[in-house]
Amino acid sequence: MSWLHGTGARLRLLFARQSSESRMDREFQFHIEMETERLAREFSLEPNEARRRALVTFGGMEKHREALRDGRGAAWLGGLSLDFKLGLRMLAKYPGLTLVGVLGMSVAVTIGALAFTAVAAVTGTALPLDEGDRIVAIDNIDLKKHDEGRETHLHDLAVWREGLRTVDDLGAYRTVDRNLITADAPPASVRVAEMTASGFRLGRVAPILGRYLNTDDEQAGAPEVVVIGYSVWRNRFGGRGDVVGSRVTLGTVSHTVVGVMPEGFAFPVNNQMWAPLRLNPSAYERGNAPPIHVFGRLAPGASLDDASRQLTMIGQRLTAAYPTSHENIRPRMLLYARSFLDSPGTAWLLHLGQVAISLLLVVIGTNVAVLVYARTASRDAEMAVRTALGASRRRIVTQLFAEALVLSAVASVVGLVVAHFVFQRLEAMVRQSADDQIPFWMRLEITPSVMVYVAGLAVLAAVIIGVIPGLKATRHRVSANLQQHFGGASMRLGRTWTALLVTQVAVSVAALPVAVSGGKGLVRSVLVDRSTPATESFVMATPLPDERSPDRRDDKARRAHYTDRVIDLARRLGTEPNGFDVVLMSAPPGAESFLRIDIDPMAGPSTPNSGVTRAEGEGVVDRVDARFFAAFDVRALSGRMFTPGDFAAGTPTLIVNRSFVHRYFGDGNALGRRVRPSPPQGTAAKRTDSRPEPWWEIVGVVEDFPSLAHGPKMYLPLRPAEVYPMTLGVRARTGAPAAVADRIREVGMAVDPTLRFTTIRPLQDALDDEVRLERLAILGIVMVTLSVVLLSAAGIYALMSFTVARRRREIGIRMALGARSGRVVVEILASAMRQIGIGIAIGVAGTGILGRTVGGDSDPLSEFLVLLLGVGVMMVIVGVIATIGPARRALRVQPTELLRSE
Amino acid sequence: MAPRVQTDALRGSIDLLVLKTLSLTSMHGWGITHRIEQLSGGALDVNQGSVYPALQRLEKEGLITSDWATTDNNRQARYYRLTASGRRALRVELEGWRRFAIGLEAVLRTVEP
Repeated sequence: MSWLHGTGARLRLLFARQSSESRMDREFQFHIEMETERLAREFSLEPNEARRRALVTFGGMEKHREALRDGRGAAWLGGLSLDFKLGLRMLAKYPGLTLVGVLGMSVAVTIGALAFTAVAAVTGTALPLDEGDRIVAIDNIDLKKHDEGRETHLHDLAVWREGLRTVDDLGAYRTVDRNLITADAPPASVRVAEMTASGFRLGRVAPILGRYLNTDDEQAGAPEVVVIGYSVWRNRFGGRGDVVGSRVTLGTVSHTVVGVMPEGFAFPVNNQMWAPLRLNPSAYERGNAPPIHVFGRLAPGASLDDASRQLTMIGQRLTAAYPTSHENIRPRMLLYARSFLDSPGTAWLLHLGQVAISLLLVVIGTNVAVLVYARTASRDAEMAVRTALGASRRRIVTQLFAEALVLSAVASVVGLVVAHFVFQRLEAMVRQSADDQIPFWMRLEITPSVMVYVAGLAVLAAVIIGVIPGLKATRHRVSANLQQHFGGASMRLGRTWTALLVTQVAVSVAALPVAVSGGKGLVRSVLVDRSTPATESFVMATPLPDERSPDRRDDKARRAHYTDRVIDLARRLGTEPNGFDVVLMSAPPGAESFLRIDIDPMAGPSTPNSGVTRAEGEGVVDRVDARFFAAFDVRALSGRMFTPGDFAAGTPTLIVNRSFVHRYFGDGNALGRRVRPSPPQGTAAKRTDSRPEPWWEIVGVVEDFPSLAHGPKMYLPLRPAEVYPMTLGVRARTGAPAAVADRIREVGMAVDPTLRFTTIRPLQDALDDEVRLERLAILGIVMVTLSVVLLSAAGIYALMSFTVARRRREIGIRMALGARSGRVVVEILASAMRQIGIGIAIGVAGTGILGRTVGGDSDPLSEFLVLLLGVGVMMVIVGVIATIGPARRALRVQPTELLRSE
Repeated sequence: MAPRVQTDALRGSIDLLVLKTLSLTSMHGWGITHRIEQLSGGALDVNQGSVYPALQRLEKEGLITSDWATTDNNRQARYYRLTASGRRALRVELEGWRRFAIGLEAVLRTVEP
C-alpha cells in the first residue's frame, strides 16, 4: 500500500500547486511565530528583535521555498505560469495583433470544429445505446449492380436467423409513413417503424410506461398495437399517465397504445412510433419481398470479423441453393452506426476532407506567425538580455510558445462558442429540411472529443505562431544582437522579409475580390424584401399517399387514384367559406427541380442571334395550373398567361421570369424564343441516335416570384396526370398559417384518410430556411476570406513599418549628411511600393485562377476589374500608412543624438 | 555546552533524524527542529528551514503523512506522523547508520603502529 500512498501524495503535490503554496506559507508562518515567541520568552527579547532572529535561524525563506517547489517537481510549472502571465500581458499590450490573430484563428477553429463534428457524426462507430458499437446491420450486395445494396432479404432473414450463431436479437424493420389521427389533435404525418420485437431487446432500453412489443404481436391476426416515443407522448397525448390502452388511428387502421419509450430512444433511424413487423415470407416470391433492413447485436465474445465470416459461409450456401436469385448476391455485415454511409470507403474520404479543412488553420496560423515574427524580431533586445542573463534558447522559445498558446487558446474558446451557435442553428435547419430522417445518433454538438481536437489545433497553431518565429529570432548569436541593439545597427532582414511581404500582398489581392462578391451576395440577400403580405397566409402542402402499402397495388391505378384525390381536395378547399385560393403545382417555390437547357439561337422575333447571350443555360422549372399567376399576384411583364389550350398534352409553351430573360436574352425580347431540356451529360456520342426533346416556346414573361428567387425560372403548364406528387398552394386572405395548415389537413382527412402531408408549411418559412442556409454559407466564405485579407493587411503593415523603423539609423545619418527629408521619404515609399507592386502583379495572376474556379461568371469582367483596382489601392494605402509613420519618426530624430549613441 | 555539529555534516542524516523524532510522537515542523536540538543536547544545530524539504521528501516517498491540527496554544499547525512503511524504513536506516558508525569508529580508533 505504501506505493499507493506515495503515488497519491505525489499526485496531490503535483496537481495541487495552489494549495501547496498556501500550505507552505502557513507552515512557515507558524514556524516563525513559534520561534519568535520562544526567543522572546527565553531571552526576553523585544518582539521585533525576536522575529528578526527567528528569521535568521530559519535561514533563507525563499531558498527553502524554492527547494520545496523543486521537490514538488513544479518548478517548471512555476516558470510556465509566469510565461502565461506574460502571454496575457502581451495580448493587452498589442491589441491590434490580438484582435487580428484571434479573429483569424477563431474562424479557422470554428470551421475546423464544424468539419470535425460533422465527420465524427457521420463516421461514428457506436450507437448511443448500451454496447452500441456491437450493434450491426446486414444487407445484400448485388455484384452486378456495383455495390448497390438490395433490401429484399425477407427470405434470407429467416436463413440468417437460423444459421448466424454469432449475432443475437437478429431482426428487421421498415419505415412507413402514416397519418396519425388522435381524438383531440389535427392529423399529422408520422414515420412509423414496423419493427420486430428484437429491436427493443437489442436496444436494452426499458419502456417508461406499459411494455414494448413482443413476438406475439408479430403473429398475423394479433391485435393491432403500437408503442409510442417520448415526444409523441408529450406532444400528442400531453404526457398523460393513462395513455396505455388508448386508441390511435394510423392511416385507416385503429391501434392500441401498449407502451411509451423514454426520451432519446429513436431506434432504428429517428422514430417515435413502432408497430410490429408482420411479414410472412411465404406470401412472397424469393427476391420479390418488400424491402426491409436487418439488424442484430454481436453475440458475447464474437467479433465483427467472426460474424462476417459466418455470414459469408451462409451466403455461399444460399447461392448454391438458389442459383437463379442469388448468383450475384453477397451478404455483408456492417457496424450499424456506419451502415448509413454510402460505402465503407466514404469514411476515409471524409477524414481526408477534414484534414484538408484543418489545414486552413495552418494557412491562417502562418499569417499570424508573420505578425508575431515581426513582433518577436522587435523584441530582440529583450531576448538578448535574457540570454545574457542565462536563459537558454529553449527557455526563450518555451516562453514564446506559451505566449502564442495564450493567443491561440483565446481564439479556440471564441471559435468553440461560435461553433456552438452555428451547430444550434444548423441542426435545427437540417432536421427541419430533412424531415427528421437524419439518424438519431448523428448529432451536431460540442462533444469532449471536439474539445480535444480544438485543443490540438490550438497547440498546433501555437507551434506555428510561437515556436517557429522564436527559433528563427533566436538563431543569431546573442552578442551580435546585443551589439546591434545597443550600437543601433540595423538588423538585416534581407530576402525572406521581401518575399513575405510580396506573398502577403499577393494573397490579399487574390482573395479579396472573392470576399467582396460573396459579401455583395450577402448584402443583397439581406436587403431584398422577401416578405409576403402579413395579413395573408401562403401555405404549401404536398399530399402523399400511404407508401409501401403491404399490398402492392398497381402503380398506375394508385397514381390515378392519387391524382383524383388531390384534385378533389383542391376543389373542396376552393369552396371553403373563408375564401382560399388554391392552385396546383409540381413543387413549392424554393424546392423546384433544376434543369439544364439548350436555347435555340435561330428562333426569335427579329434577326437570329439578336440578344441571345448563351446557347446553353440552366434554371429551375415548375409546372403550374392556369390559376397560379393570378392567385399569387405574379405580375405579367409581357406576352400572355397560360390559356386552356396550353394544358392539352404535347403543347410546348413556356412562361419565364424576369431573371431568366435578364440572364439569357440581356433584357431583350424573349417572346417567341425557344428552349428545351439539354440531353443528359455524357451522352454526346449518342445524341444522334436519341431524339432530342421538343422545343418549348416562350409565350409570356412574369415578375420574379417570390421576389427572393432571383434566379432564372421556367413555368410549364401542369397536367395533373403527369405530375407526382403535386403540391397545393393555398392563399388564405385571413387566418394564421397554422390554422390554414390544420384546415388543409382536416379537409384532406375527409377526402382520403391515407393522404399524408409530410411538408405542409407557410411559404415564408420555407423561404426563410433557404435564405438562412444560404446566408450561413455565404457568411462562412466571407468570414474566411475577410480574415485572410485582414491578416494579410495587418501583416503588410507590420512588415513595412518594422522595415522602416529598422532603417532609423541610416535615415538619421543621411539627414546628418544633408539629405532633404522629402527625398528620403520618397525613396522609402518607392521601395515599399515596388514590393507591393510585385505582390499585386502576382495576386492579379492568382485572381484569374481563383475567379475561374470560384465561378465568378455572374459578375461581368468590368466589375471584377474595378474590384481588383480597389484591392490594389487598398494595399497601396496600407503600405503608405505603414511606411509614413516610422519614416517621419526617423526624420524627427536629431542626427547628433544618433551619432552620440553610436 | 558541547560544540555544535556543522550543517554540512547534518545534511545527509536529516531524513533519519526526522524519522526518528517522528517515531516518538507526531509533531509539526518547528517541534521537530527543537526536539532534535533537545535530544542531541544542543549538539545538532538543524538549519530550521531545511527540515521542510526533508518532510516533503519523506511524505512524497510515503514514509510520513500529515494533517492540519490545533496546537496547545490554539494555533493551526501541520502535524506529521510516521506511516507503517516509514517505521520499516527507519529500522533499515538505523541498522545501516549503526553499521556505518561502527565502521567509522573502527577506522578512527586505529592507532599508528
